[in-house]
Amino acid sequence: MEQYKTVLHAQNVRKSFGTRGNVVQVLKGIDLRVMEGEFVGIMGASGAGKTTLLNVLATIDRTTEGSILIGESDISKMKDRELSAFRRDQLGFIFQDYNLLDTLTVKENILLPVSLGKMKKRVAEDQFNTIANLLGIKELADKYPHEISGGQKQRTSAARALINKPSMVFADEPTGALDSKSASSLLGTLEDVNKQRGVTIMMVTHDPVASSYCSRVVFLKDGNIYSELYRGDKTRQAFFQEILKVQGVLGGDSVDAL
Amino acid sequence: MTLFDLVIRSMRKNIKHYYLYFFALIFSVVLYFVFATLQHDPSVVERSGGSMGAAFKVAGILLLFIAGIFVVYANSIFLKRRSREIGLYQLIGLTKSAVARLLIIENTLLSAGALAIGIGIGILVSRVFLLLLMKLVGFDGFIELTFSMAAVTQTVIVFLAIIMLTSIQMLIAVRRTTLLGLFNAEKQGEHPKKPKAFRSAFLALLGIGLIGFGYWLSGRMMNPLLFFNMLAVLGSTILGTYLLFRVTISWLFYQVRKHKQGHLGLNNSLSLAPLMHRMKGNANSLTIITVLSAMTLTMLAGAYSLYYSTEKETRSIYPHDFMFGGYGEQDEAIEKQFTDELDRQRISYLYTPIEVLNLEGKFLEETTSTKWLGENLSASIVSEKQLQQAGIDVEIPDMQSAYFYDASVYWMMKTEDVPFEVELKTAQNELDVTVSKVREGNVINLPFAGTQLVVNDAFYHEIKALFINEEEAYRISNFKAVTIVDKNQQATASAIYHDILDNGDRLTFDYYSQYISTMQSTGLLIFIAGFLGLVFLISTGSILYFKQMTEAEQEKRSYATLRQLGFNVHDIMRGIVRKQVFVFGVPLLIGLLHSIFAIKAASFMFMSDITLPASIAMGIYALIYLGFAILTVGYYRKTVKSAF
Repeated sequence: MEQYKTVLHAQNVRKSFGTRGNVVQVLKGIDLRVMEGEFVGIMGASGAGKTTLLNVLATIDRTTEGSILIGESDISKMKDRELSAFRRDQLGFIFQDYNLLDTLTVKENILLPVSLGKMKKRVAEDQFNTIANLLGIKELADKYPHEISGGQKQRTSAARALINKPSMVFADEPTGALDSKSASSLLGTLEDVNKQRGVTIMMVTHDPVASSYCSRVVFLKDGNIYSELYRGDKTRQAFFQEILKVQGVLGGDSVDAL
Repeated sequence: MTLFDLVIRSMRKNIKHYYLYFFALIFSVVLYFVFATLQHDPSVVERSGGSMGAAFKVAGILLLFIAGIFVVYANSIFLKRRSREIGLYQLIGLTKSAVARLLIIENTLLSAGALAIGIGIGILVSRVFLLLLMKLVGFDGFIELTFSMAAVTQTVIVFLAIIMLTSIQMLIAVRRTTLLGLFNAEKQGEHPKKPKAFRSAFLALLGIGLIGFGYWLSGRMMNPLLFFNMLAVLGSTILGTYLLFRVTISWLFYQVRKHKQGHLGLNNSLSLAPLMHRMKGNANSLTIITVLSAMTLTMLAGAYSLYYSTEKETRSIYPHDFMFGGYGEQDEAIEKQFTDELDRQRISYLYTPIEVLNLEGKFLEETTSTKWLGENLSASIVSEKQLQQAGIDVEIPDMQSAYFYDASVYWMMKTEDVPFEVELKTAQNELDVTVSKVREGNVINLPFAGTQLVVNDAFYHEIKALFINEEEAYRISNFKAVTIVDKNQQATASAIYHDILDNGDRLTFDYYSQYISTMQSTGLLIFIAGFLGLVFLISTGSILYFKQMTEAEQEKRSYATLRQLGFNVHDIMRGIVRKQVFVFGVPLLIGLLHSIFAIKAASFMFMSDITLPASIAMGIYALIYLGFAILTVGYYRKTVKSAF
């Protein structure tokens, strides 16, 4: 698969938590480049820094050191206000526990990112129809989150992440709260979205099955990149086996994930 | 670890949740204690006499009710917020009775603390309230506030009862809830259902209709069915308000939302949607708050208007400072003695004889007055010229016509269509007189004032010539009006008058002493109304604040999500402010509207225009109320900022 354009470029990203005297360095200088149209999985044992990396890259948290370019913008130098606007316009998010607003219907939830009215209503409506069809949740438009299943909630969350045509979608353990059937169905959909619409996705997961849907998997260990695997033309099964092998070498909690 | 250790630990950890309940408790104790102190204060008791004491008692009972309801309500919100913690205790193996014991020990400690602090603050501030009260009733002397053990005992007893009540409430709460329910309590809330089209539309319109009907009827209550009309107005307005919150607003919101077809926008997502979500649960409290606000506003505006117009009202009933001549020779002696004393003390005064013809007559047309009092009247005919001489500013009526004065029936006669005809008659003669205007107040002091017809001087003599002969001479009364020129000497003159009368019991009818006694009773009234109003206001404001605080906590996750999606605090706050405008604004607005109509309906009690004092009272109320809205928005801002 040929990639041309860099969507995300992280250089020497470091992140420490804690106060003076009791500092824990979680990310110890990560360099990562994500190309347009990639579906990148981030794996690693608990505490390896997966979620911290995602948060930092997704502008939800700030780096201690290093620079992150998304498209042309250096997000490590932006002010909070600019970051908010950037997130709203350029990024999409899928969370483990969906983070849907209980008081809004499926459609209203999906349209939230464009709710400041910068997108014309007709354009937003078209966009909604396309994405809802793609994710198979068109019929649920007027339902409230408490009326639908977990898989449907996560699809809604995914639709919300896609509505503003983001340059990149970040997913934090999107299948973590789903049963295996809903999980594979959702991952299949994400794969389709990635392939057909060319949406760049970065997904944090500890589940090798989930990461086997990706085009590339990055392994973290103790705050550093340990290794990377490209799927290339391999089947998902073969890729899955490869992932398992690396995970075996990495050790830790890989076995209980199966 | 003993249960008691657990109590101390949980209290220390929960201080954030407690302080709300704690302040609610302290606040109730302070107000109740201040009230009890005033009630028992010797200088108040001494100056108040029977009527004041009774007013204090009634207000005290009312206050007790409000304080009780307020504390129980705050406690229930507090319990709900802690439901997860209560569930956790049960999960780790504490029995229900142990949890209940834990809560009750906490509650007792907390309440005892609040009681002690509250009484302490109460002792400090009760002096301020006493000074205020004395100022309002027009007493300037030195006031010594004594520490009242009786007030302390009374407060302690009352709040012990309230502690018992809240403990029972906790027992019931713990007993009734299941583990599962406890964990879900914070998530509870209904989900807006599609309203049944016809039924909802009907009820929605019915709500508005009932309020409208109440307003309409409130302007037309003045007939012998007054009492039933009042009940009907109250009933339809309260029911209408309930329907408004329960159905009408949800229905309107639903229509708006449906119309948006999913394109809700951020502002509506943060105002309309959560409001709809909680409308069913909030309808009761919003209705109660609206009705309470309306009641308080009416009470405040009414009391302040009474206080404000005391001087004018008294003057319109007692147009002359002193009046003699009504009680024959004995009165003349007093008058002589009085004027002599005024002369001696060099108090200058205006002395005017006023001659009055007392005639029988009847209304020739149906008027409001005839409906209430029958068609016969006995009228005092007074000449405009003599009134002018006595310093009363009266217009001069045309020949053959008369101006109608009677302070006691002015409230129902002021809306009368003029002119109307009355017939004056004696055994021999009769005469039709046209009443061309109904004027405010009296021209002769009570108790001599009945229906007074003021006529042109020439016409007066014509009437006198027509009716009065030797036989009818008794119909002439000769009054003497005494008016003190320098206003500052009125008090001295009044004292002289009372010295001469020297009868503690008999009612006196001089302007100044009436003014003082009215001032005292309206001063007390405004004090009590203000005090209760403040309690109502702070209770309703706090309840809204508490409720919104809970909602803010519940929605914290939504705010975090929104911020992660890229909305900044400013964007989110805009939607939240809109919600608060609704939550605080609508009850206030409807409460104001209710009270405006109530005041209008009650304005018959006032001769003077009360637009100004009523507006001032309402304005102050709205301003303090606004303070709570600002506090709430502040709390939300803090919540949104910390949510990420």
